[in-house]
Amino acid sequence: MNFLLEGFFEAYRLLVSGNVETYSAILATVKVSSYSIGCSLLLGIPLGFCLGYFNFSGKKPLRTIVDTLMALPTVFIGLLVYAFLTHRGPLGDFGLLFTLPGIAIGQTILALPIVVGLSATAIESMDQKLRITIMSMGANRRQLFLSSLWESRHGILAGAIAAYGRVMTEVGISMMVGGNIKWHTRTITTAIALETNKGQFGMGVALGLVLLAIAFCVNVSVSFLRRRY
Amino acid sequence: MDLPIYKINSLKHSYGSKTVLAIEHLTVQPASIVGLIGPNGSGKSTLLKVLGLIEKPTQGKINFNGHLVEPFSDEARFLITMLPQEPFLMKRSVFNNVSYGLKLRGNGRDITDKVNQALSLVGLDSKDFAQRPWYALSGGEAQRVALAARLALKPKVLLLDEPTASVDAASAQLIKEASLRARQEFGTTLIVASHDWQWLYEICDEILHLFKGRIFGTGRETIIFGPWQKLGPNKWGKILPNKQQLLVPAPPDQKAAAVIDIMSVSEDGPTIASEEIALWGTVSRLSLERKTGQLFATILVGDLPFTVRLTPQQNKKHAIFPGKTIHIRYRLDQIKWV
Repeated sequence: MNFLLEGFFEAYRLLVSGNVETYSAILATVKVSSYSIGCSLLLGIPLGFCLGYFNFSGKKPLRTIVDTLMALPTVFIGLLVYAFLTHRGPLGDFGLLFTLPGIAIGQTILALPIVVGLSATAIESMDQKLRITIMSMGANRRQLFLSSLWESRHGILAGAIAAYGRVMTEVGISMMVGGNIKWHTRTITTAIALETNKGQFGMGVALGLVLLAIAFCVNVSVSFLRRRY
Repeated sequence: MDLPIYKINSLKHSYGSKTVLAIEHLTVQPASIVGLIGPNGSGKSTLLKVLGLIEKPTQGKINFNGHLVEPFSDEARFLITMLPQEPFLMKRSVFNNVSYGLKLRGNGRDITDKVNQALSLVGLDSKDFAQRPWYALSGGEAQRVALAARLALKPKVLLLDEPTASVDAASAQLIKEASLRARQEFGTTLIVASHDWQWLYEICDEILHLFKGRIFGTGRETIIFGPWQKLGPNKWGKILPNKQQLLVPAPPDQKAAAVIDIMSVSEDGPTIASEEIALWGTVSRLSLERKTGQLFATILVGDLPFTVRLTPQQNKKHAIFPGKTIHIRYRLDQIKWV
């Protein structure tokens, strides 16, 4: 079990000494997860609102599909995105394979159903009296939409955190679409996988702790925002 | 006479296949107070939601102030507001709840003063309450904040759905006073659904009785709900807790409601003619109708309330007061079924 203890010391050393390789992986992780979570929130919140708010034929089957997609295996997404982005694939001309935007596309596909599904749940569980209140104050349709979203912010935020957690910790997409290229597409999770394969447990634990620290910072920030608003 | 603020003809509203509202004709005059009474499920809240442009009627149109309107209509959305029965506030501070409607109207100037005035109308001190979050309020305070949010808008129409049903007596009094001040100060038309008949009869210019989604009468009718028992050959009615029999003609169905018109009251057991029924009961309440100056007595026969209109002569003759035992008389052939 010494390697765990070593891992703590190694983590401390790597971070304090400003180890370039470690910071490259951290930067790649933060970058790619920010792109993907940004895109999935931008697309997912309006879609989740529509799914939760409106009644239309086919709503239930659509909801079941979204809920199923929440459990999409990352390697399967990796495989599909790889197939699309490879030179022989339909999007091969864009040259996105083995790039951070390529990983971000895969991670957006991973996060989108989570954001849509949990936003829809937050909107569905919205009190019917909220709609009456907003409308009775004179809101138009756009204001009703924005105010309803704002009132469901805590539920939507919970969905965003769940999606962010999934994106930050996935390996399959980053490995398959990114290729784990040092200084370029190596993220924290792919680096951990590599270091473990090399028997460098200390480095692996160190990177794992960094990942945990990032998740902690995100959650503390979100908790602060929740208290503030 | 002024142009009616509301004019409705042949309006229907359904949830699925069930029609919950069927209004043949309704007009409401500006700056008047209209009371809606009726049992639970009679359509009061639905009517308020339709009038408040929260729900679009399944059939028929609403004419508001000379315009045909529906939810989100620009001609009406800044003029009508509704207070739902249960206290509900948005997840923001008291100040932001009260100022919400003002901000929607782009009414940003003097917003603090307007919020403070509205809070003081409902008896809340803005220094103590303005910055409180929505969850740090009692039920009564939340309902008063919700009312303040409506009053800040100085609405042309204020729809109140059982505004005092889920609050304590002190809050109820403040809500009642604030609602009336809206009419006095802003000329607001009030439409109030409430089970507090006495209050409604004191303040309303007009009272509408709703039953099964339909408007009938003024609420002064005695309505007795089924189920009905067969008490003998061609004899239907109810056996009351004090062993008296409330008789009615054969009902159209077990759950039909009987509208009973009380012919007279007397202190002694009356001599009754054929087709007439006499019952005795205890006067439980006397109320005055503000508009007509008419006195009404509610008489509990067993556990059923009967409402009787009293002429000044009758009142003088019988000296009716709560607690007094009195006899009432009605005719079987004048009972109507609804």
